[in-house]
Amino acid sequence: MKVEQIVEATLFASQTPLTLEEISRADEGLDVERVVEAIQFLRDSYEDAERAFQIYQLGDGFQVLTRPEYAPYLERFDSVPRAPHLSPAALETLAIIAYRKPIGRIEIEEVRGVSASSVLRTLLDWELVQVVARGEGLGRPLLYGVTQKFLEHFGMKDVSDLPAADELPVVLGELQQAMEAERPKPLAAETADSTGESS
Amino acid sequence: MNSIASSQDTIQGSEPFQVSLERFEGPLDLLLHLIRSQDIDIFDIPIARITEQFVSALSDGLEAMPIERAGEFLEMASTLVRIKAQLLLPRPEQPDWDADPRAELVRRLLEYEHFQDVVHVLEGAEAQRGRHFAKGFVESRPAPTLAPVELELTLAEFLAAAARIPEPLPPVVFRPPSQTVTVGEKVSLLRRLLAKAKRVSFDRLFRPWGTRAHAIAALLAALELARQQVLRIEQVKPFASIWLLPGERKQTGDPPEATESAEGIA
Repeated sequence: MKVEQIVEATLFASQTPLTLEEISRADEGLDVERVVEAIQFLRDSYEDAERAFQIYQLGDGFQVLTRPEYAPYLERFDSVPRAPHLSPAALETLAIIAYRKPIGRIEIEEVRGVSASSVLRTLLDWELVQVVARGEGLGRPLLYGVTQKFLEHFGMKDVSDLPAADELPVVLGELQQAMEAERPKPLAAETADSTGESS
Repeated sequence: MNSIASSQDTIQGSEPFQVSLERFEGPLDLLLHLIRSQDIDIFDIPIARITEQFVSALSDGLEAMPIERAGEFLEMASTLVRIKAQLLLPRPEQPDWDADPRAELVRRLLEYEHFQDVVHVLEGAEAQRGRHFAKGFVESRPAPTLAPVELELTLAEFLAAAARIPEPLPPVVFRPPSQTVTVGEKVSLLRRLLAKAKRVSFDRLFRPWGTRAHAIAALLAALELARQQVLRIEQVKPFASIWLLPGERKQTGDPPEATESAEGIA
Protein backbone atom coordinates (compact mmCIF):
# COMPACT_ATOMS: atom_id res chain seq x y z
CA MET A 1 0.00 0.00 0.00
CA LYS A 2 1.50 3.26 -1.07
CA VAL A 3 1.43 6.40 1.04
CA GLU A 4 -0.14 8.36 -1.80
CA GLN A 5 -3.03 5.95 -2.03
CA ILE A 6 -3.70 6.05 1.69
CA VAL A 7 -3.78 9.84 1.59
CA GLU A 8 -5.95 9.77 -1.51
CA ALA A 9 -8.42 7.38 0.11
CA THR A 10 -8.62 9.58 3.19
CA LEU A 11 -9.26 12.74 1.20
CA PHE A 12 -11.68 10.97 -1.11
CA ALA A 13 -13.80 9.67 1.74
CA SER A 14 -14.07 13.00 3.55
CA GLN A 15 -16.80 15.53 2.91
CA THR A 16 -14.99 18.25 4.87
CA PRO A 17 -11.44 19.58 4.69
CA LEU A 18 -8.89 17.49 6.60
CA THR A 19 -5.78 18.89 8.21
CA LEU A 20 -2.39 17.31 7.61
CA GLU A 21 -2.48 15.95 11.16
CA GLU A 22 -5.87 14.39 10.62
CA ILE A 23 -4.72 12.73 7.42
CA SER A 24 -1.53 11.43 9.01
CA ARG A 25 -3.64 9.62 11.60
CA ALA A 26 -4.69 7.18 8.88
CA ASP A 27 -1.52 5.14 9.23
CA GLU A 28 1.39 4.78 11.62
CA GLY A 29 3.80 5.12 8.73
CA LEU A 30 2.50 8.61 7.97
CA ASP A 31 3.68 11.93 9.28
CA VAL A 32 2.86 15.48 8.27
CA GLU A 33 5.80 15.77 5.89
CA ARG A 34 4.97 12.56 4.07
CA VAL A 35 1.35 13.68 3.78
CA VAL A 36 2.48 16.98 2.26
CA GLU A 37 4.60 15.06 -0.26
CA ALA A 38 1.74 12.71 -1.04
CA ILE A 39 -0.67 15.59 -1.57
CA GLN A 40 1.77 17.25 -3.93
CA PHE A 41 2.20 13.99 -5.81
CA LEU A 42 -1.55 13.54 -6.08
CA ARG A 43 -2.05 17.14 -7.20
CA ASP A 44 0.50 16.68 -9.96
CA SER A 45 -0.98 13.40 -11.07
CA TYR A 46 -4.52 14.87 -11.16
CA GLU A 47 -3.14 17.75 -13.17
CA ASP A 48 -1.40 15.42 -15.63
CA ALA A 49 -4.46 13.21 -15.96
CA GLU A 50 -6.72 16.26 -16.38
CA ARG A 51 -9.06 15.05 -13.69
CA ALA A 52 -12.25 17.05 -13.09
CA PHE A 53 -11.21 17.51 -9.48
CA GLN A 54 -8.19 18.65 -7.57
CA ILE A 55 -7.00 18.81 -3.98
CA TYR A 56 -7.46 22.33 -2.65
CA GLN A 57 -6.23 23.88 0.54
CA LEU A 58 -8.88 25.69 2.56
CA GLY A 59 -7.44 27.22 5.67
CA ASP A 60 -5.29 24.50 7.20
CA GLY A 61 -7.45 21.77 5.69
CA PHE A 62 -7.30 19.91 2.40
CA GLN A 63 -10.28 18.80 0.38
CA VAL A 64 -11.02 17.24 -2.97
CA LEU A 65 -13.18 19.70 -4.92
CA THR A 66 -14.30 19.84 -8.49
CA ARG A 67 -12.50 22.23 -10.77
CA PRO A 68 -14.31 25.51 -11.37
CA GLU A 69 -14.80 24.89 -15.09
CA TYR A 70 -17.26 22.11 -14.28
CA ALA A 71 -19.49 24.34 -12.18
CA PRO A 72 -21.95 25.02 -15.04
CA TYR A 73 -22.69 21.30 -15.33
CA LEU A 74 -23.11 20.72 -11.61
CA GLU A 75 -25.28 23.78 -11.23
CA ARG A 76 -27.88 22.15 -13.45
CA PHE A 77 -28.79 19.83 -10.60
CA ASP A 78 -31.51 21.40 -8.53
CA SER A 79 -30.38 19.39 -5.56
CA VAL A 80 -26.95 21.02 -5.46
CA PRO A 81 -27.17 23.52 -2.64
CA ARG A 82 -25.83 26.89 -3.62
CA ALA A 83 -23.20 28.22 -1.29
CA PRO A 84 -24.96 31.04 0.51
CA HIS A 85 -23.97 34.51 -0.58
CA LEU A 86 -23.22 36.75 2.36
CA SER A 87 -25.06 40.04 2.66
CA PRO A 88 -23.22 43.33 2.08
CA ALA A 89 -23.42 44.00 5.81
CA ALA A 90 -21.85 40.63 6.58
CA LEU A 91 -19.11 41.15 3.99
CA GLU A 92 -18.34 44.63 5.31
CA THR A 93 -18.08 43.35 8.84
CA LEU A 94 -15.92 40.41 7.80
CA ALA A 95 -13.66 42.70 5.78
CA ILE A 96 -13.07 44.88 8.82
CA ILE A 97 -12.48 41.94 11.13
CA ALA A 98 -10.16 40.18 8.66
CA TYR A 99 -7.91 43.26 8.39
CA ARG A 100 -8.19 44.63 11.92
CA LYS A 101 -8.38 41.51 14.06
CA PRO A 102 -8.61 41.38 16.96
CA ILE A 103 -11.26 44.05 16.95
CA GLY A 104 -14.25 44.86 19.14
CA ARG A 105 -17.80 45.64 18.20
CA ILE A 106 -17.51 49.37 18.93
CA GLU A 107 -14.55 49.76 16.57
CA ILE A 108 -16.38 47.85 13.84
CA GLU A 109 -19.37 50.14 14.24
CA GLU A 110 -17.14 53.21 14.04
CA VAL A 111 -15.82 52.08 10.68
CA ARG A 112 -19.20 51.08 9.30
CA GLY A 113 -21.19 53.93 10.76
CA VAL A 114 -23.96 51.52 11.63
CA SER A 115 -24.75 49.04 14.35
CA ALA A 116 -22.94 45.72 14.06
CA SER A 117 -24.50 43.68 16.85
CA SER A 118 -27.00 41.70 14.80
CA VAL A 119 -24.62 41.00 11.94
CA LEU A 120 -21.97 39.91 14.45
CA ARG A 121 -24.44 37.52 16.01
CA THR A 122 -25.14 36.00 12.59
CA LEU A 123 -21.45 35.68 11.78
CA LEU A 124 -20.85 34.00 15.14
CA ASP A 125 -23.71 31.60 14.46
CA TRP A 126 -22.21 30.73 11.11
CA GLU A 127 -18.80 30.34 12.75
CA LEU A 128 -17.28 32.81 10.31
CA VAL A 129 -15.95 34.84 13.23
CA GLN A 130 -15.07 33.94 16.78
CA VAL A 131 -14.11 35.67 19.98
CA VAL A 132 -10.32 35.61 20.06
CA ALA A 133 -9.57 37.80 23.05
CA ARG A 134 -10.94 40.36 25.44
CA GLY A 135 -9.99 43.99 25.18
CA GLU A 136 -8.41 46.08 27.89
CA GLY A 137 -10.99 48.84 28.12
CA LEU A 138 -14.18 49.27 30.04
CA GLY A 139 -16.10 46.02 30.48
CA ARG A 140 -13.28 44.11 28.79
CA PRO A 141 -15.01 44.04 25.41
CA LEU A 142 -15.00 40.92 23.26
CA LEU A 143 -12.53 41.01 20.40
CA TYR A 144 -13.28 39.13 17.23
CA GLY A 145 -11.23 37.38 14.59
CA VAL A 146 -12.03 35.30 11.52
CA THR A 147 -12.17 31.50 11.62
CA GLN A 148 -11.23 28.43 9.64
CA LYS A 149 -14.82 28.50 8.29
CA PHE A 150 -14.12 31.98 6.95
CA LEU A 151 -11.15 30.64 5.00
CA GLU A 152 -13.24 27.72 3.75
CA HIS A 153 -16.07 30.00 2.66
CA PHE A 154 -13.79 32.24 0.65
CA GLY A 155 -11.52 29.44 -0.53
CA MET A 156 -8.40 30.82 1.10
CA LYS A 157 -5.40 29.13 2.63
CA ASP A 158 -4.78 31.99 4.96
CA VAL A 159 -5.90 35.58 5.51
CA SER A 160 -2.64 36.50 3.83
CA ASP A 161 -4.39 35.43 0.61
CA LEU A 162 -6.25 38.69 0.94
CA PRO A 163 -4.46 41.55 -0.75
CA ALA A 164 -2.24 43.44 1.62
CA ALA A 165 -3.87 46.62 2.85
CA ASP A 166 -1.48 48.75 0.82
CA GLU A 167 -2.32 46.91 -2.41
CA LEU A 168 -5.93 48.03 -2.34
CA PRO A 169 -7.13 50.96 -4.46
CA VAL A 170 -7.79 53.06 -1.38
CA VAL A 171 -4.71 52.77 0.75
CA LEU A 172 -4.98 53.91 4.32
CA GLY A 173 -1.23 54.24 4.81
CA GLU A 174 -1.06 56.82 2.05
CA LEU A 175 -4.19 58.49 3.26
CA GLN A 176 -2.38 60.40 5.93
CA GLN A 177 0.22 61.60 3.42
CA ALA A 178 -2.48 62.66 1.01
CA MET A 179 -4.15 64.60 3.75
CA GLU A 180 -0.87 66.24 4.66
CA ALA A 181 -0.30 67.23 1.05
CA GLU A 182 -3.79 68.59 0.71
CA ARG A 183 -3.54 70.69 3.80
CA PRO A 184 -3.68 74.25 2.62
CA LYS A 185 -6.18 73.67 -0.15
CA PRO A 186 -9.32 72.60 1.66
CA LEU A 187 -9.83 75.73 3.67
CA ALA A 188 -9.37 77.99 0.68
CA ALA A 189 -11.74 75.95 -1.44
CA GLU A 190 -14.26 75.70 1.34
CA THR A 191 -14.56 79.46 1.33
CA ALA A 192 -15.62 79.21 -2.28
CA ASP A 193 -18.18 76.58 -1.36
CA SER A 194 -19.62 78.67 1.43
CA THR A 195 -19.86 81.76 -0.69
CA GLY A 196 -21.45 79.74 -3.46
CA GLU A 197 -24.11 78.55 -1.06
CA SER A 198 -24.73 81.92 0.52
CA SER A 199 -25.20 83.73 -2.78
CA MET B 1 -11.54 79.13 -10.05
CA ASN B 2 -13.75 80.09 -7.21
CA SER B 3 -16.52 81.27 -9.47
CA ILE B 4 -16.37 78.07 -11.52
CA ALA B 5 -16.61 75.96 -8.42
CA SER B 6 -19.57 77.88 -7.12
CA SER B 7 -21.46 77.85 -10.42
CA GLN B 8 -20.98 74.10 -10.63
CA ASP B 9 -22.31 73.93 -7.17
CA THR B 10 -25.43 75.80 -8.11
CA ILE B 11 -26.09 73.72 -11.21
CA GLN B 12 -25.54 70.35 -9.58
CA GLY B 13 -27.12 71.38 -6.35
CA SER B 14 -30.32 72.37 -8.09
CA GLU B 15 -30.75 68.93 -9.66
CA PRO B 16 -32.99 66.65 -7.68
CA PHE B 17 -30.73 63.86 -6.54
CA GLN B 18 -32.75 60.69 -6.54
CA VAL B 19 -31.43 57.90 -4.38
CA SER B 20 -33.12 54.98 -2.75
CA LEU B 21 -32.07 54.66 0.86
CA GLU B 22 -32.61 50.92 0.91
CA ARG B 23 -29.66 50.49 -1.40
CA PHE B 24 -27.29 51.81 1.18
CA GLU B 25 -25.74 49.95 4.05
CA GLY B 26 -25.62 53.08 6.12
CA PRO B 27 -24.92 56.82 6.18
CA LEU B 28 -21.25 56.46 5.15
CA ASP B 29 -22.29 54.41 2.16
CA LEU B 30 -24.83 57.04 1.11
CA LEU B 31 -22.40 59.89 1.67
CA LEU B 32 -19.68 58.17 -0.31
CA HIS B 33 -22.15 57.54 -3.12
CA LEU B 34 -23.12 61.22 -3.23
CA ILE B 35 -19.47 62.23 -3.37
CA ARG B 36 -18.24 59.64 -5.86
CA SER B 37 -21.20 59.81 -8.23
CA GLN B 38 -20.75 63.57 -8.60
CA ASP B 39 -17.01 63.30 -9.01
CA ILE B 40 -16.39 65.45 -5.98
CA ASP B 41 -12.86 65.80 -4.61
CA ILE B 42 -13.08 63.99 -1.32
CA PHE B 43 -10.47 66.32 0.18
CA ASP B 44 -12.65 69.28 -0.71
CA ILE B 45 -16.20 68.26 0.02
CA PRO B 46 -18.74 71.03 -0.58
CA ILE B 47 -20.42 70.44 2.74
CA ALA B 48 -23.41 72.68 2.14
CA ARG B 49 -24.41 70.96 -1.09
CA ILE B 50 -23.73 67.45 0.21
CA THR B 51 -25.66 68.15 3.40
CA GLU B 52 -28.62 69.34 1.39
CA GLN B 53 -28.55 66.25 -0.82
CA PHE B 54 -28.06 63.96 2.14
CA VAL B 55 -31.02 65.40 4.00
CA SER B 56 -33.27 65.34 0.94
CA ALA B 57 -32.37 61.68 0.38
CA LEU B 58 -33.42 60.99 3.96
CA SER B 59 -36.73 62.80 3.65
CA ASP B 60 -38.14 60.07 1.44
CA GLY B 61 -37.18 56.86 3.18
CA LEU B 62 -36.61 57.75 6.78
CA GLU B 63 -40.08 57.06 8.08
CA ALA B 64 -40.16 53.55 6.65
CA MET B 65 -36.92 52.67 8.44
CA PRO B 66 -36.49 50.85 11.69
CA ILE B 67 -35.77 53.43 14.36
CA GLU B 68 -32.20 52.27 14.97
CA ARG B 69 -31.28 52.56 11.31
CA ALA B 70 -33.01 55.93 11.01
CA GLY B 71 -30.99 57.11 13.99
CA GLU B 72 -27.74 56.22 12.25
CA PHE B 73 -28.66 58.34 9.23
CA LEU B 74 -29.85 61.21 11.42
CA GLU B 75 -26.63 61.15 13.40
CA MET B 76 -24.69 61.64 10.17
CA ALA B 77 -27.06 64.41 9.09
CA SER B 78 -26.42 66.22 12.35
CA THR B 79 -22.66 65.74 11.94
CA LEU B 80 -22.88 67.32 8.49
CA VAL B 81 -24.90 70.24 9.78
CA ARG B 82 -22.40 70.74 12.60
CA ILE B 83 -19.48 70.75 10.16
CA LYS B 84 -21.34 73.20 7.94
CA ALA B 85 -21.89 75.49 10.90
CA GLN B 86 -18.25 75.27 11.96
CA LEU B 87 -17.14 76.21 8.47
CA LEU B 88 -19.23 79.36 8.63
CA LEU B 89 -17.54 80.46 11.84
CA PRO B 90 -14.56 82.80 11.55
CA ARG B 91 -11.42 80.67 11.50
CA PRO B 92 -7.91 81.26 12.72
CA GLU B 93 -5.48 82.74 10.27
CA GLN B 94 -3.19 79.78 9.70
CA PRO B 95 -4.73 77.20 7.37
CA ASP B 96 -4.43 73.92 9.21
CA TRP B 97 -5.90 70.73 7.82
CA ASP B 98 -6.27 69.26 11.29
CA ALA B 99 -8.39 72.25 12.17
CA ASP B 100 -10.62 71.67 9.19
CA PRO B 101 -13.91 70.41 10.61
CA ARG B 102 -14.19 68.06 7.63
CA ALA B 103 -10.95 66.18 8.34
CA GLU B 104 -12.43 63.51 10.58
CA LEU B 105 -15.31 62.88 8.19
CA VAL B 106 -12.91 62.54 5.26
CA ARG B 107 -10.81 60.07 7.22
CA ARG B 108 -13.89 57.97 8.00
CA LEU B 109 -15.09 58.09 4.40
CA LEU B 110 -11.75 56.97 3.05
CA GLU B 111 -11.52 54.25 5.63
CA TYR B 112 -15.00 53.07 4.69
CA GLU B 113 -14.09 53.13 1.02
CA HIS B 114 -10.96 51.15 1.79
CA PHE B 115 -13.07 48.40 3.30
CA GLN B 116 -15.47 48.51 0.37
CA ASP B 117 -12.48 47.48 -1.73
CA VAL B 118 -11.94 44.57 0.63
CA VAL B 119 -15.63 43.70 0.26
CA HIS B 120 -15.17 43.47 -3.51
CA VAL B 121 -12.19 41.18 -3.00
CA LEU B 122 -14.24 38.97 -0.68
CA GLU B 123 -17.16 38.90 -3.11
CA GLY B 124 -14.82 37.75 -5.85
CA ALA B 125 -13.34 35.07 -3.61
CA GLU B 126 -16.80 33.91 -2.57
CA ALA B 127 -17.93 33.62 -6.19
CA GLN B 128 -14.77 31.71 -7.11
CA ARG B 129 -15.17 29.35 -4.18
CA GLY B 130 -18.79 28.76 -5.21
CA ARG B 131 -17.54 27.21 -8.42
CA HIS B 132 -15.86 24.35 -6.59
CA PHE B 133 -18.01 21.49 -5.39
CA ALA B 134 -17.18 19.01 -2.71
CA LYS B 135 -18.06 15.37 -2.88
CA GLY B 136 -21.57 14.71 -1.70
CA PHE B 137 -22.94 17.97 -2.96
CA VAL B 138 -25.11 16.27 -5.53
CA GLU B 139 -27.60 14.71 -3.19
CA SER B 140 -29.92 11.91 -4.14
CA ARG B 141 -32.59 13.50 -6.20
CA PRO B 142 -36.07 13.76 -4.80
CA ALA B 143 -38.91 12.39 -6.90
CA PRO B 144 -39.32 14.81 -9.77
CA THR B 145 -42.17 17.18 -9.31
CA LEU B 146 -43.91 17.57 -12.61
CA ALA B 147 -43.87 21.16 -13.62
CA PRO B 148 -47.19 22.43 -14.90
CA VAL B 149 -47.07 22.32 -18.67
CA GLU B 150 -47.95 25.53 -20.32
CA LEU B 151 -50.41 25.11 -23.18
CA GLU B 152 -48.89 26.17 -26.42
CA LEU B 153 -51.73 25.85 -28.89
CA THR B 154 -54.41 27.95 -30.42
CA LEU B 155 -58.09 27.53 -29.85
CA ALA B 156 -58.43 26.13 -33.37
CA GLU B 157 -55.78 23.49 -32.64
CA PHE B 158 -57.47 22.64 -29.40
CA LEU B 159 -60.85 22.22 -31.10
CA ALA B 160 -59.32 20.14 -33.85
CA ALA B 161 -57.75 17.88 -31.25
CA ALA B 162 -61.06 17.63 -29.45
CA ALA B 163 -62.78 16.70 -32.71
CA ARG B 164 -60.37 13.80 -33.17
CA ILE B 165 -61.59 12.15 -30.00
CA PRO B 166 -64.05 9.46 -31.14
CA GLU B 167 -67.67 9.80 -30.22
CA PRO B 168 -68.45 8.01 -27.00
CA LEU B 169 -69.69 4.51 -27.63
CA PRO B 170 -73.42 4.18 -27.59
CA PRO B 171 -74.65 3.08 -24.22
CA VAL B 172 -74.86 -0.64 -23.84
CA VAL B 173 -78.28 -1.79 -24.84
CA PHE B 174 -80.11 -3.30 -21.96
CA ARG B 175 -80.36 -7.02 -22.27
CA PRO B 176 -82.75 -9.05 -20.23
CA PRO B 177 -80.91 -11.56 -18.08
CA SER B 178 -80.12 -14.43 -20.33
CA GLN B 179 -81.05 -17.89 -19.42
CA THR B 180 -78.36 -19.77 -17.66
CA VAL B 181 -75.97 -21.33 -20.06
CA THR B 182 -74.16 -24.60 -19.58
CA VAL B 183 -70.76 -25.73 -20.65
CA GLY B 184 -72.50 -28.53 -22.49
CA GLU B 185 -74.42 -26.05 -24.62
CA LYS B 186 -71.19 -24.32 -25.54
CA VAL B 187 -69.53 -27.65 -26.34
CA SER B 188 -72.23 -28.51 -28.79
CA LEU B 189 -72.14 -24.99 -30.24
CA LEU B 190 -68.42 -25.30 -30.69
CA ARG B 191 -68.68 -28.68 -32.30
CA ARG B 192 -71.31 -27.35 -34.65
CA LEU B 193 -69.23 -24.39 -35.66
CA LEU B 194 -66.07 -26.42 -36.16
CA ALA B 195 -67.93 -28.77 -38.38
CA LYS B 196 -68.79 -25.86 -40.66
CA ALA B 197 -65.67 -23.72 -40.51
CA LYS B 198 -61.92 -24.31 -40.62
CA ARG B 199 -61.46 -22.15 -37.62
CA VAL B 200 -63.64 -20.43 -35.12
CA SER B 201 -63.02 -17.19 -33.32
CA PHE B 202 -63.27 -17.64 -29.60
CA ASP B 203 -65.23 -14.35 -29.44
CA ARG B 204 -67.95 -15.85 -31.52
CA LEU B 205 -68.79 -18.33 -28.77
CA PHE B 206 -70.04 -15.72 -26.36
CA ARG B 207 -69.99 -12.26 -27.93
CA PRO B 208 -73.55 -12.39 -29.27
CA TRP B 209 -74.85 -12.95 -25.74
CA GLY B 210 -72.51 -10.45 -24.14
CA THR B 211 -72.60 -11.85 -20.65
CA ARG B 212 -69.91 -13.12 -18.46
CA ALA B 213 -71.65 -16.42 -17.93
CA HIS B 214 -71.46 -17.16 -21.63
CA ALA B 215 -67.78 -16.22 -21.75
CA ILE B 216 -66.99 -18.52 -18.85
CA ALA B 217 -69.00 -21.36 -20.30
CA ALA B 218 -67.36 -20.87 -23.69
CA LEU B 219 -63.90 -20.86 -22.16
CA LEU B 220 -64.56 -24.04 -20.19
CA ALA B 221 -66.04 -25.68 -23.27
CA ALA B 222 -63.02 -24.70 -25.36
CA LEU B 223 -60.61 -25.97 -22.73
CA GLU B 224 -62.56 -29.22 -22.36
CA LEU B 225 -62.47 -29.88 -26.09
CA ALA B 226 -58.81 -28.92 -26.27
CA ARG B 227 -58.11 -31.42 -23.52
CA GLN B 228 -59.91 -34.03 -25.59
CA GLN B 229 -57.77 -32.90 -28.52
CA VAL B 230 -60.86 -32.20 -30.54
CA LEU B 231 -59.53 -28.72 -31.15
CA ARG B 232 -56.38 -26.65 -30.81
CA ILE B 233 -56.28 -23.20 -29.35
CA GLU B 234 -54.03 -20.65 -30.98
CA GLN B 235 -53.14 -17.12 -30.22
CA VAL B 236 -50.42 -15.31 -32.16
CA LYS B 237 -49.46 -13.00 -29.36
CA PRO B 238 -50.87 -11.86 -26.02
CA PHE B 239 -54.23 -10.09 -26.37
CA ALA B 240 -54.54 -11.08 -30.01
CA SER B 241 -57.62 -12.92 -31.16
CA ILE B 242 -57.96 -16.49 -29.95
CA TRP B 243 -58.65 -18.98 -32.64
CA LEU B 244 -60.00 -22.46 -32.21
CA LEU B 245 -58.94 -24.97 -34.82
CA PRO B 246 -59.85 -28.58 -35.35
CA GLY B 247 -57.55 -30.84 -33.41
CA GLU B 248 -56.01 -34.21 -34.10
CA ARG B 249 -59.17 -36.08 -33.25
CA LYS B 250 -61.04 -34.47 -36.04
CA GLN B 251 -64.69 -35.08 -35.95
CA THR B 252 -65.22 -33.78 -39.46
CA GLY B 253 -62.09 -34.95 -41.27
CA ASP B 254 -61.02 -31.61 -42.58
CA PRO B 255 -57.78 -31.77 -44.52
CA PRO B 256 -54.82 -30.46 -42.56
CA GLU B 257 -53.74 -28.06 -45.30
CA ALA B 258 -56.96 -26.13 -44.80
CA THR B 259 -55.86 -25.50 -41.24
CA GLU B 260 -52.47 -24.36 -42.46
CA SER B 261 -53.98 -21.86 -44.80
CA ALA B 262 -56.25 -20.59 -42.06
CA GLU B 263 -53.22 -20.08 -39.88
CA GLY B 264 -51.54 -18.29 -42.71
CA ILE B 265 -54.33 -15.81 -42.87
CA ALA B 266 -54.33 -15.33 -39.14
